[in-house]
Amino acid sequence: MTHRIVVDLGYGDAGKGTVVDWLCARGPEPVHAVVRFNGGAQAAHNVVAPDGRHHTFAQFGSGTLTPGVRTHLSRFMLVEPLALAAEARHLAALGAADAFDRLTVDVDALLTTPYHRAANRARESARGAARHGSCGMGVGETMAYSLEHPDDAPRAGDCTTPGRLRRLLSALRDRVLDAFPEADVPDVDDCVDAFTAFGERVRLVGGDHLHRLLRTGNVVFEGAQGVLLDEWHGFHPYTTWSTTTFANAETLLDEAGASAVRLGVVRAYMTRHGPGPFVTEDPALTTDLPDRHNAFGPWQGTFRVGHLDLVALRYALAVAGGVGELAVTHLDVARARRDLLLCRAYEIDGDPLGALPVGRAGDLEGQEALTHRLMKARPVYEPLGDPVETLETGLGVNVGLRSYGPTAADKVTARPSRPGPTTRR
Amino acid sequence: MGSGVWSTNVYDAAQSYRAATGASAFGHTDGGATTTHPDLDPHGVTVRESRDNDEHPESLAIAVLFDVTGSMGTVPRVLQTKLPDLLGLLMRKGYVEHPQIMFGGVGDATCDRAPLQIGQFESDNRMDDGLGKILLEGGGGGQMMESYELAMYFMARHTALDCFEKRGRRGYLFMIGDELAYPKVDRRLVAKVIGDDLAEDLSIEAVLTELRRMYEVYFIIPEGGYHSGDPRLRDFWRRLLGQHVLYLDDLDAVCETIALTIGLSEDAIDLQEGLEHLDEFGSTAGPSVSRALARLEADRAPTAVSASPPGLDDAGARGTTRL
Repeated sequence: MTHRIVVDLGYGDAGKGTVVDWLCARGPEPVHAVVRFNGGAQAAHNVVAPDGRHHTFAQFGSGTLTPGVRTHLSRFMLVEPLALAAEARHLAALGAADAFDRLTVDVDALLTTPYHRAANRARESARGAARHGSCGMGVGETMAYSLEHPDDAPRAGDCTTPGRLRRLLSALRDRVLDAFPEADVPDVDDCVDAFTAFGERVRLVGGDHLHRLLRTGNVVFEGAQGVLLDEWHGFHPYTTWSTTTFANAETLLDEAGASAVRLGVVRAYMTRHGPGPFVTEDPALTTDLPDRHNAFGPWQGTFRVGHLDLVALRYALAVAGGVGELAVTHLDVARARRDLLLCRAYEIDGDPLGALPVGRAGDLEGQEALTHRLMKARPVYEPLGDPVETLETGLGVNVGLRSYGPTAADKVTARPSRPGPTTRR
Repeated sequence: MGSGVWSTNVYDAAQSYRAATGASAFGHTDGGATTTHPDLDPHGVTVRESRDNDEHPESLAIAVLFDVTGSMGTVPRVLQTKLPDLLGLLMRKGYVEHPQIMFGGVGDATCDRAPLQIGQFESDNRMDDGLGKILLEGGGGGQMMESYELAMYFMARHTALDCFEKRGRRGYLFMIGDELAYPKVDRRLVAKVIGDDLAEDLSIEAVLTELRRMYEVYFIIPEGGYHSGDPRLRDFWRRLLGQHVLYLDDLDAVCETIALTIGLSEDAIDLQEGLEHLDEFGSTAGPSVSRALARLEADRAPTAVSASPPGLDDAGARGTTRL
């Protein structure tokens, strides 16, 4: 059994979706399930089938276009039943009519509701220009509410007991309206109706379901966002309220007595969707290299593009605890754009800086100080050269997969599948 | 970062979930099917196999066949949601290292559209798919009989198990229901449902003797079935299977009951250990399992050793006392 964890080492959008799709469609071993282990419905993992069908995966695993591949939403996932229904409808239109039948949801997974979303938008609007780059989906609010009111936070399992569900949603709605009286929120009855329908249609399972998945076939753990946006190790406050490293996946694997190969996904250049430090940002690249699937979003702002940043990627590797293999995407772009550059070091107030300090998890003041320094950092550039070689030598990790386009057919394995180092056990 | 590309409209979502075709559990049935799914049709099947492979070098066959007729009420649907956890339960404490599980449905061959449905032995999630393909009949014959004899005939003559052939270890067959079997395997029904050409009818006892060479056979009677309380039911199955008839007062405990029965039979645990394991997993099934298996446990006397099937002509047959 070779399980894999796919994590983005940058700010997201490196191509986790297309890598997971490839692993499921034609990877080295058959995959029977994709497991989500962080984030929620705000993920947007774009997958294009060789025949041109395109789907933006948010909650379903990015392997869903391959018949038979299941999705399991683990207890670390924030489940949004309303968006899930819309996503399933689009998948059905693409020919995956059985997406719900292939889905399981951990009963302990937190639910993101319209009330969380309303609070999220109200709060982010109040921040004005200082907004954090939230997607406006209520993911952060879901986490905040569950920490503040652990017993009142609705979870997937509550959808099978309408009485309890109604009580939880009413309390949540009241609290949101207390804080934001102007918030536009639906009636509790309508919400109960939709969430109950979710509970009836989707198979809700206990934690042992994942153990069985891990024992009976190869599983891909699909991360959301990127390590540089991690709640503890990202550049505070421009982070996501989610552990974006391998940590959650490792916890789930440990509990099941299993291990996995860690796969880090990087683009041949850097991108960042939303505000926050981005040392190698280049407005010319932003103009020239728009992303087909990432336009300006009202809640995130513009999609930004920059040059390959080894300083940031080394930092990501350090905080994530290393990877077994790399997958490098958008190599077709690198081949076409010979003016892409490489940054091995920053310069801050005239001093060179080759590596960022790794703080202890939870020290948000330290991370904020780091953010302030990064805002002043200037990149020191050199020619990119062959991005695959550059990444292998610069990060000291083999590139196991090269991607030259959006579909599984555009992927090349570097060598016959040689499993990299597995997780520590 | 991602974006909110999918509609979060509360009305659309409710409608979407309700309109989504095929219920989560019995996709085949709820999709409007009225006949046996081709994958589960026993007609013309030479043999269903449980075989060793590289990943599962020492397979152990476990078949679970349940009554899909109306007399069982909602029991099949509850079973469907519980049975997928069986594999994990067996493996977590190492009762069985390489289980291969098959599911099937039993109906009434004299009047049902799907008298016998037989899946494949699977060691992974494909068995969930098999479960989803089972047609739930509803209806039923009204004579308190289902064609268990046909199911037993199929299992005896049309399955092949590596655990038995290579290692001399029997597999497990659990039947779950609340009705009697027909006393004879009718050759005409065999021809119609399975496609074999028999010279004459077979007695259920003869088929059971054949079957028990290869399988430890158990019959589980769940509370909540229409006939569950009928003494004729208990007497009928007791006569055939001795203490291998288990009464289950909480259907939610079915996986745990099967797992512990196997654990006991494999000598991996005694009942107390098994119940402790259930506690450890946070399962609340302990009391029900304990009641269901108390008799089995009592019969696990060290002196009761018999590797061969008991004399079935004996009205007081004791069942397999290897337990």
